[in-house]
Amino acid sequence: MHKLVFSNLIQRPARTVISVIAVALGVALLLVSLGLSYGQLADTAERTKGMGGDFILQPSDASLLFALNSGSLPVRLRGVIEKVEGIRSATPVLAKFLGDKFHLVFGIDKESFLRVNTNLRFTDGEIFQVPEQAIIDTVYARQWRLSVGDPLELLGHEFVVSGIFRAGTGARVLLPLATLQELNGTPGKATMFFVRAKDKLSSGDALASLKAKFKNYKITESAALQELMMDNTPVFKQFITTMVVISVVISFLIILLAMYSSIIERTRDIGILKSLGASKAYIVQLILRESLLICAAGVVLGFILTYIAIQLVSAAFPNLPVIITGFWRITAALMALLGGSFGALYPAIKASQMDPVKALGYE
Amino acid sequence: MNKTVEISQKKNIVLIENLQMVYRIGKIGVPALRGADLTVKEGELVAIMGPSGCGKSTLLHLMGGLLRPSSGRIHIEGVDIGASSDYVRTEFRRRRIGFVFQGYNLLPTLTARGNIELARSIYGNDRREETSVQQILTLLGLHDKMDHKPSELSGGEQQRVAIARAVINNPSLLLADEPTGNLDSENTKKVLEILKKLNQEYGQTIIMITHDPEVASIGRIVEMRDGRVLNRFQNSYYATEENRL
Repeated sequence: MHKLVFSNLIQRPARTVISVIAVALGVALLLVSLGLSYGQLADTAERTKGMGGDFILQPSDASLLFALNSGSLPVRLRGVIEKVEGIRSATPVLAKFLGDKFHLVFGIDKESFLRVNTNLRFTDGEIFQVPEQAIIDTVYARQWRLSVGDPLELLGHEFVVSGIFRAGTGARVLLPLATLQELNGTPGKATMFFVRAKDKLSSGDALASLKAKFKNYKITESAALQELMMDNTPVFKQFITTMVVISVVISFLIILLAMYSSIIERTRDIGILKSLGASKAYIVQLILRESLLICAAGVVLGFILTYIAIQLVSAAFPNLPVIITGFWRITAALMALLGGSFGALYPAIKASQMDPVKALGYE
Repeated sequence: MNKTVEISQKKNIVLIENLQMVYRIGKIGVPALRGADLTVKEGELVAIMGPSGCGKSTLLHLMGGLLRPSSGRIHIEGVDIGASSDYVRTEFRRRRIGFVFQGYNLLPTLTARGNIELARSIYGNDRREETSVQQILTLLGLHDKMDHKPSELSGGEQQRVAIARAVINNPSLLLADEPTGNLDSENTKKVLEILKKLNQEYGQTIIMITHDPEVASIGRIVEMRDGRVLNRFQNSYYATEENRL
């Protein structure tokens, strides 16, 4: 049967190649879109964790996508937070999304931030000393080709880069809190607080105390941030489901069309197989194997296209993280194979039920 | 022993009684067989003749289990295939029937060897006596054409590959529907020699349809008219020596 499967596919190269490419595009579409969205979320979560601290305190209705939040918390709340039992320090952060540059900037209070964050490492320069200075991470510096001392225009205001820190801490650009508050029109306000417990071992108790004190606030453990972001990001799950469904539907329709036209073209061949004593199961198997082979080739090509797309995206947008996990690769492959199998099922059953005499007489 | 006597002592391989077949075209029933009777013994070569539309092909398809009769009995090697399920008829066709068609009906995507191997693979792997593909292609003078696709073979060569495919699994009954209908006289002769050889040397039971009296003369001639077999018992096996090719 293998020879027949291969020869049938080779005999109609244009249809086979188009079907393989279509399945591959479905796979690549799924992986690249998921890789981009998942990568963005995972990277944001990772960098947020990199801000330091064990908890994030936000207004009750705030999102973990900081770009969606405004600055509504009074900065003076820091004193109240730091008085909670088990809390070492807290630092206010004002998040501002820059639509024109499509990235977040954080306004930080230098003194309290350095008490909460112990991971900030500079590759060049130092933290800002005056209101018109900004610090940027290595990815941002590379993308915009900035060095210490270079001007940086943000929010219609010209800053000077005072330092470049290793990527992985909060936003890619950190500004003095007071400056950003003023530019944002929210003096004395913060979007959230990063809170550090006195002792990692008793952070559970500290969290309980914090929750008891701030009942009407949203308090998130930094360790669970990534998972929470995946679960709570608006439409992320729906987006994933949609992409998976699109991928399955593409495979399904392409294979349905390819196999249906194939069996109509090969009606006589099917009659011949029946005259040789091929059972219905044999014919169904034959069609399914052909479609699975097309889908398998499509999956492989899809992985290659995904790799190329990621390289292109990374080259064009170095700060745009793309993360494609093994789980997603397997899911994309399974979806393509599943879609293809279902797509081939109807033509396969139709072929198996053909009247052998009519099929043999088909011109 | 005389061949006629030898055949007459053999068991019936085909036993058809009052076979009727009506094709349904919408609400209209078109009769193709109107009570056909036929007996074929093991090792016989039978040529069915008759005008177009008299039911020859329908009879052949019924014997091969490709169709189910409207009524009547059709026993092949004791199996009532007329009353059998689709599954049983498929299994029966795989195990006991070999088909040769006028239009060769080789799969165009496979080579000569591939076409023959396909028949073997459909048969399955539980065969005890295996005839090798190479052996049969050599026997039919096609050893140098094994890796040629049907489009690269002449009509006569394609028909020989089709015969090889039909007999590779040692079927009990070889059914040939106008096997020389598309061939020139030289290739017709070659194909008939092969059929005779299969019948005489290997004892292959063959039932073939033909319009050509010369082709029919290699076996017992059975005539059909209007869905009936006319001369069921008329001709003896290889009626006359001079009729042989």
